[in-house]
Amino acid sequence: MKVAKFLTLLSGLLVLSSLSSAEVQYKTETMVEGLDHPWSMAFISSRHMLVTELSGQLRLVTDGELSETPIEGVPEVLFAGQGGLSEVLVHPNFEENGFIYLSFSAPDADEPKLNRLNVVRARLEGEALVGHKTIFKSNPPRKAAAHYGARLAFMADGSLLITSGDGFNYREKAQHLDNHFGKILRVNDDGSIPTDNPFFNSPGALPEIWSYGHRNLQGLVIKDDGTVLEHEHGPKGGDELNIIEPGNNYGWPAITYGIDYSGATISPFTEQPGMEQPIKYWVPSIAPSSMALYQGDMFPSWKGNLFISALVPGDLRRLELSGEKVVGEEILFSELGRIRNVITAPDGSLILATDGAEGKIIRVFADNQID
Amino acid sequence: MIKQSISFLVAVTIATVLLITQTTVTNIAWLFSMDMPVDAPVVISMIVGDLIGMNVNGAFPVGGLVLVGMLIAFIVTRIALIWVNIDKRYLYALAGGMAMVAIVGLMPLAFYNLELIAGARTFVGKGYLIFTGVIAGYYFGSRQTENSTDESR
Repeated sequence: MKVAKFLTLLSGLLVLSSLSSAEVQYKTETMVEGLDHPWSMAFISSRHMLVTELSGQLRLVTDGELSETPIEGVPEVLFAGQGGLSEVLVHPNFEENGFIYLSFSAPDADEPKLNRLNVVRARLEGEALVGHKTIFKSNPPRKAAAHYGARLAFMADGSLLITSGDGFNYREKAQHLDNHFGKILRVNDDGSIPTDNPFFNSPGALPEIWSYGHRNLQGLVIKDDGTVLEHEHGPKGGDELNIIEPGNNYGWPAITYGIDYSGATISPFTEQPGMEQPIKYWVPSIAPSSMALYQGDMFPSWKGNLFISALVPGDLRRLELSGEKVVGEEILFSELGRIRNVITAPDGSLILATDGAEGKIIRVFADNQID
Repeated sequence: MIKQSISFLVAVTIATVLLITQTTVTNIAWLFSMDMPVDAPVVISMIVGDLIGMNVNGAFPVGGLVLVGMLIAFIVTRIALIWVNIDKRYLYALAGGMAMVAIVGLMPLAFYNLELIAGARTFVGKGYLIFTGVIAGYYFGSRQTENSTDESR
């Protein structure tokens, strides 16, 4: 019995030492201050970065300096609740075609009291967007200004994944394939629908649907081997990190590890045949707001780790993966408060955006780097 | 005064229990429609769990919300009864309904149209919840009528 206790203690210490061995020395510097609800960031070159503000501006940061005037030609957005200008994503061939993609909420053209998630492609010329093309509009429109998802990511084949949240009031629709609530959608870079989508030939299903049964999906990364990782806000508890396979059902709201904000049981079930399990879930909630796969060279021991920005209580989570399992979690930067977005810079530093009306962009770089 | 307080708390309890069980039943009905393994123990545990959870674990205690709404509505009604000569049962029933209108109708306006009470997401659900306020108010009005009759004897 004593030997067993000793071995348990020893194995515990070994786990602890392996986590602490991943500690690295880093410094932080504030690059930009005074942003109005920054939501997403994307580098268009090693010197230039685009930043969205939820209130509707697309900003350019050059060598750490914020341009005074926003990028022109951004579509009008609905800035209310959780809605507004959300994701900015650069086309894989941006240097040749100049395309960027924006996701945002906007009033419905026919019924202005309702709104939809939109994705627009446009060409960046100088400091203006031209040649807009709407490549996606969520259907049906919604009344509530919440749970848009709105993350975008390009797959290796050039197709685009779009996360579309459950709209809060419409959670049951996440289980049905005739609408865009609680789905990951896959379209080509021009908005056309790939014929190899899992429900392309399914009667009654929208052909752009790639996976379903999601809640509010705000993190999406694709590994070099094609693995798609997604995280979503749970209700009160039950935030999830999932590996996404085309055609699969991720269970919301039939299975969940959380409860409703009112305290009600949404479902007493946490698993069900035909519904996928997360590779990690959080109770209580951390409110995961974005995710980056670290592939830079500045922090070699972080290579292959996932970084997840969290709004509650506000920090950055570093997750170590082993195959399809999360084997370690470290909490960083809890002093910064709510972190809305994390990306990796071309030089390997981490770039964080803090949430709120006075949002900041903070660079995290190795201690041995010259500022 | 003690009788009035007890009657008020019973009225609040009636409305709260009816409100909570309606949300529970809404969720159970949907799970059942999705072929989830809903059986009697699941139903019972969800009802009991929600009666506790929606008063303890939520962002706001539903019972407290109903209590505040009805307290305001019944005080206004009590004052109105000084001048208005209508059967107390009907006036308090109206007040109870109005308290629930405020809770299920106005709350979403404060939260970007988010329906925080799941059972209030449909017109039928809203109507039912308002009716629970009417029942609670009618009960309270009935007790007031009985008390008045007792005192007059």
